[in-house]
Parts: sequence; structure tokens; C-alpha cells
Amino acid sequence: MTDQHEDPKFDAWLKDVARTTYHAPRTTPREEMWARLAAERQRRAGRVIELRPWMRWAVAAAAVLVLGIGIGRWTVRQQPRGTTTVTPLAAVNDSSRDLAYQVAATQYLSRTEALLTSFRADARPDARDAARFATQARDLLTTAQLMLDSPAGDDPRMRALLEDLELVLVQISQLGAKGEVQEADLIRQGMNQSNVLPKLRSAIPAGPVPVRTQGVL
Amino acid sequence: MDESTLIARVRAGDSAAERTLYDAHVDRVYRLAFRLAGDDALAQDFTQETFIRAFDRLGSFRGEAAFSTWLHTITTTVVLNGLRKVKRLRQRETDIDDAQAIGVRKRESEPDLKMRLTKAIDELPEGYRTVFVMHDVEGYTHEEIGAALGVETGTSKAQLSRARAKLRVALADFAGEWTT
Repeated sequence: MTDQHEDPKFDAWLKDVARTTYHAPRTTPREEMWARLAAERQRRAGRVIELRPWMRWAVAAAAVLVLGIGIGRWTVRQQPRGTTTVTPLAAVNDSSRDLAYQVAATQYLSRTEALLTSFRADARPDARDAARFATQARDLLTTAQLMLDSPAGDDPRMRALLEDLELVLVQISQLGAKGEVQEADLIRQGMNQSNVLPKLRSAIPAGPVPVRTQGVL
Repeated sequence: MDESTLIARVRAGDSAAERTLYDAHVDRVYRLAFRLAGDDALAQDFTQETFIRAFDRLGSFRGEAAFSTWLHTITTTVVLNGLRKVKRLRQRETDIDDAQAIGVRKRESEPDLKMRLTKAIDELPEGYRTVFVMHDVEGYTHEEIGAALGVETGTSKAQLSRARAKLRVALADFAGEWTT
């Protein structure tokens, strides 16, 4: 590239002076640097990853989760065909495609069981409790209706249970508006006659309730 | 033994081959690091880091360019990043020293050619200085500079031209040195 300020004489002089004076290096300390290089590489190779306390918990939790999933999958594969063991409803379909729905169903059934157990134990709910029951029931009712339309509703036993729950939840969701103790008693009687709570409990697989399934349905 | 065979042996874990490869390139790496850093300890640190990275990443060297080009890319990255860190640290120290020296500063004596030249080169913008040092001082070609810095050859040439122009202005007091 040419430049209007180009001056070959200056360029040659500058190059010569700079090479001899600008940060002129001494003889390369080869051996010294090689020794340091080897030591540093060895040090880095032996360095271990130090985990902070919160990271240890996170790693432990992740390891348990991975182990649990591995055991679960291995157990499912090991189960022989034609075995007639009684299986909870929420764990009927073992394909990975429907795993998310099973998890969502288990969580949903657990929440519903908690509400119905609490509702049945509270013989005379005051207006505030009745309103709380109604709010929770409306939330669960919406989910039950979504689940009936999802692959989880394809299973006949699950569908029957969801329809029973839908009926009970509709009644509880209207409780706050009426605020009548007699109405709550009638709902309890209906629950007892239909055995909805025992059916619900048998449908929930043993073990901890799965979490973080919002948006699955 | 050609370089591709040597590199293959290094990849296979041959420590003697590592040393041979190091010996073949360490002078140029160290000289460039020293020229840019102006400090032996820093130059050694940068050279060491360059070879550590090169040996660690040799698996990613695909041989599309010369090994020396690939190595000088690592060198310039290590040196320029290292110097930026050093500059920040020194700036903090200078700020403290300046604050303590207010009112007691003396007029410096007129520096000689070597000092003026060093100061003028040091004060060039980073890109200009790097290209000037690589080309005029260490003898790299514009193609090598372009590959090492990740710029076009034309950019390297333009930066060199601007660097020389700035230096000519800065060293105008010594015009008699090159006009005679």
C-alpha cells in the first residue's frame, strides 16, 4: 500500500534503529522456560475441581436423580411380559412418550388427595376455609378437565377416577358461594359412597411426589 | 522428521517430540513476546502460556495453515490479552503514585533517541504497534501478521503505514539522522 507520507529513507532508518534498540530481547532462556513449562503443565494436570458447599448439594441431588431414573428404567425393562401385578393407575403406561403425563397425573392426584382429605376432616368449615377449599377445587377442576382430554384420559381406570373427582370438585368449588354446612356434609356423604378417596389413594404410586410438571398438559 | 510427523508424535504423547517442537519455535515466540512486553519476566510468562495452550489444543490444529502461523495466533492472543491486564494494573498503581506526587514533580531531562523512540512506539495505538513490531522489528510478512491477528493483509499494510507516519512526526527532532 502506498501512502502520501511514505518516506523510504525514514522507513529504512526506523527499521534499523528499532530492531537494535526497541525492547531488544536477550538470548532466549530455553531451558529455564522449558522447566517452568513442564512444572506448570504438571500442576494444571493434577489440579482438582473444588466444589463450593452449595455445588456439592446440587451435584449430590443431580446424582440421586440420575440414579433414580436409571433404576426406574432398568426396573421397567426387567419386568417380564404377562406379569399380573397390581399397578397404580398413574404408573400404568410405561412408555417414555407418556412419562410426562404420568408424572403430571401423579402430582395432580396427590394434590387432589390432600384437598379431599383436608376437606373431609374439617366437619364445620367456616366461611374462610370454605372459600379456600373452593378456590383449590376450582384450580384442580380445571386440571382434571385438561387431563380428561389428554392421553392420561385414554386409560379407562384413570378416566373413571377423573370423572368421579370432577364431580366432587364441582361441588366443592361451589361451596364458598353457598357457605352452608349442610351442603359440605352432603358432599362428604357422596365422597364416602363413591369411595373416591380410597380409589384416589390406590391410584397414586408410592414414593415422593414428582415436581415441576407445569405446562405438561 | 517433517513437522506434520512431529505434530502427530506430540499428539500421541511423545514428550521428546514436544521438546523438539518447542525448540523449533521458542525463539520466535519469546522474541515477539519480549518485543511487545518489553519485560523479560512477562515475556517468559507469555511464552510459557503460549506453549501450554498450543500443546493442550494441538488436537484442534488441522494443518490447514502452517503450524508457525497457528502458534503465532496463540502468541499474539496471549501477549495482547496479558498486556491489557498488566496495563490496567499499572494504571491503578500510576494513579496512586500520581496522587502522592502532586506538587513535587520535576521537569524531565531531554531523552535521547533510544528513549524517544521507545516512548513513541509504546504510545502507538495497540493495533499499529503490534503490526509495526511484527513487521519492521521482527520481520513477519503481512500475510503472517494478517493470519495471526485475524485481519486482512491490506489492513496490516495500512496500519503499518499509519504507524510509520506517526513515528515520523514523533521523531521529527531527529530528522537529520535519516535525511543525511
